[in-house]
Amino acid sequence: MPLIDPTVVDLSRLQFALTALYHFLFVPLTLGMTMILAAMETTYVITGKQVYKDMTQFWGKLFGINFAIGVATGLTMEFEFGTNWSMFSHFVGDVFGTPLAIEGLMAFFMESTFIGLMFFGWDRLSKPAHLAITYLVALASNLSALWILIANGFMQDPKGASFNPDTMRMQFNSFVQLVFSPDAQAKFVHTSIAGFVTGAMFVMGVSAYYLLTNRHKEFAARSIRMAAVFGLISTLAVVTLGDALGRLDDLLQPTKIAAIEGLWHTTTSPAAPWLVAALPDDKTQSNVFEIGVPYVLTPLITHTFDKSIPGLIDLEGAAGPKILNGIKAIDALQQYSTTHDAASLATFKQYEDDMGYGFLAQQNAPNQDLNAITPAEMPAVVQQTELDTVPNVFVTFWAFRIMMFLGFYFIALFAFMAYFSLKNQLENNRFLLKLCMISIPAPILACEFGWITAEAGRQPWSVYGWLPTFQAASSHNVGYMVFSLIGFALLYSLFIAAELYLMFKYARLGPQSHDHAAPVAGTGALPMFAKPGFAAKSWE
Amino acid sequence: MKTFTKFLGLAVVLLIAIVLAVLCGDYGPWYFAWLVGTTMIILIAVAGGVLFETQLETQKKGS
Ligand code: HEM
Repeated sequence: MPLIDPTVVDLSRLQFALTALYHFLFVPLTLGMTMILAAMETTYVITGKQVYKDMTQFWGKLFGINFAIGVATGLTMEFEFGTNWSMFSHFVGDVFGTPLAIEGLMAFFMESTFIGLMFFGWDRLSKPAHLAITYLVALASNLSALWILIANGFMQDPKGASFNPDTMRMQFNSFVQLVFSPDAQAKFVHTSIAGFVTGAMFVMGVSAYYLLTNRHKEFAARSIRMAAVFGLISTLAVVTLGDALGRLDDLLQPTKIAAIEGLWHTTTSPAAPWLVAALPDDKTQSNVFEIGVPYVLTPLITHTFDKSIPGLIDLEGAAGPKILNGIKAIDALQQYSTTHDAASLATFKQYEDDMGYGFLAQQNAPNQDLNAITPAEMPAVVQQTELDTVPNVFVTFWAFRIMMFLGFYFIALFAFMAYFSLKNQLENNRFLLKLCMISIPAPILACEFGWITAEAGRQPWSVYGWLPTFQAASSHNVGYMVFSLIGFALLYSLFIAAELYLMFKYARLGPQSHDHAAPVAGTGALPMFAKPGFAAKSWE
Repeated sequence: MKTFTKFLGLAVVLLIAIVLAVLCGDYGPWYFAWLVGTTMIILIAVAGGVLFETQLETQKKGS
């Protein structure tokens, strides 16, 4: 019986993907709303107009619902590293644990404390002090995301650590290298600002609903103005950082960028087309059809006009010698672990850089035992492992394209909304307002597809080049995995249902009826605003 | 005295900003870009809000 059950690995992956994608339904809104609240409250402090305070409080309330439900969904993943990915935790725990621990501290101490002060401090703190707290909430929520992205950056490009043959695990060498890794940096900015886009679309979409239903018009017009401007610049920044991430993938993860671009063969001329659409077939390693724009791919990916981009089939071929070296590295490591002699250590050091490829070959060895491969079997094992070195192209290609096309759609939508807001013609554009409403979930969708691009594109590795995903899982039985998977799916669906119910309820209710139109039947004021005299204030 | 303290406070903030810019700009260009960019995004959104009020005032005066 093989040591590692592939079904358990697949179920562990499915469970992590499910919990991560569920969790990330909440995260971007938190990242973005806090910044928008900071902008709204700044406008309140500058102009002294009550409406901006009310805006901060109302959107703050919706942010609060999202935060309260969302924070619980993140916790399980930290435990999953221990329960389902114990080999991963053993192998990189020294390095990975540090950013995760800091994130825990950030989220639970800094972020939560300031959120408490933000909600309950309105009557107790001076205007500038409360504003400072709102900025700290925004900073803290984004800083806690920073540490997760640093941890993820390590999985994409392991910087700041090396393998220790005595402990058989990765050893932490440099905190600075880990934190300032270029991949972690670009990831953080791309993801954090993707959150800004999500927050802006949420504010714009809900406000569009008020304009369409002829309610809270003054409130909605101001919210749209701020959200459209905020969203437009943020989306431009997301696209810029997306380009930087693509460039880094070209430098650090050639298999990922080739999968993103559906590139099977190395480009030989600068005229290589950038594929707008294609149907990649992973089995035949070719694209069934493709529509491309010539001369775009090379400058887009390499930022030059002449460099070639390696294709997947050539990358598989190039992995052959690495696989053979990796098998030698593991053989030497096994010897060293029993003898601790200098000769086997020297052999291991010689092939150490390719050790991960040896681990990868293990799944194709008889009984997953590299020592059991006979010389006659070796070419077949290497050939099979070569095929395993590339990710699923169909998934990576399309996940990337959906995210990217949505990005350009957001630019257009925010630009139109900013333009019509400046021209004071929002209400005449009912089609655009409806589009804003139905686009509320679109940035969340783009984020989900972004993560699919990043994670599916990194396969077959959990730590790129070092630790294959199938080696990283725990040795559970299938029944346990199926049971916990169903449990998570049910529990998380409950969270989503609660979020949607509360969000719809409070967004429908709206801030309160400030405009002079009669409230629509069934809509009242939010309890927090329902103080005597509150409704009498005028925003104009 | 109050003005002097304010001046001193702002000078310290400026110094921190410069040190941050030099260090961050060297080691963490994207982190630095995030700090500057996020500040800009917020300030431009705030300017959008303030402009809204100015437009409203002008409209009221005109009518
Ligand atoms: C032209 C537009 C865009 C480009 C070129 C782009 C590029 C990329 C790339 C290459 C990755 C994979 C990074 C990796 O290798 O790990 C990625 C991931 C991601 N993207 Fe995008 N993206 C774009 C638009 C967007 C938009 C509009 C959003 C959401 C509003 C978004 C959200 C994300 C997220 C959440 C991730 C996963 C986290 C990360 O790896 O940074 N992206 N993007």
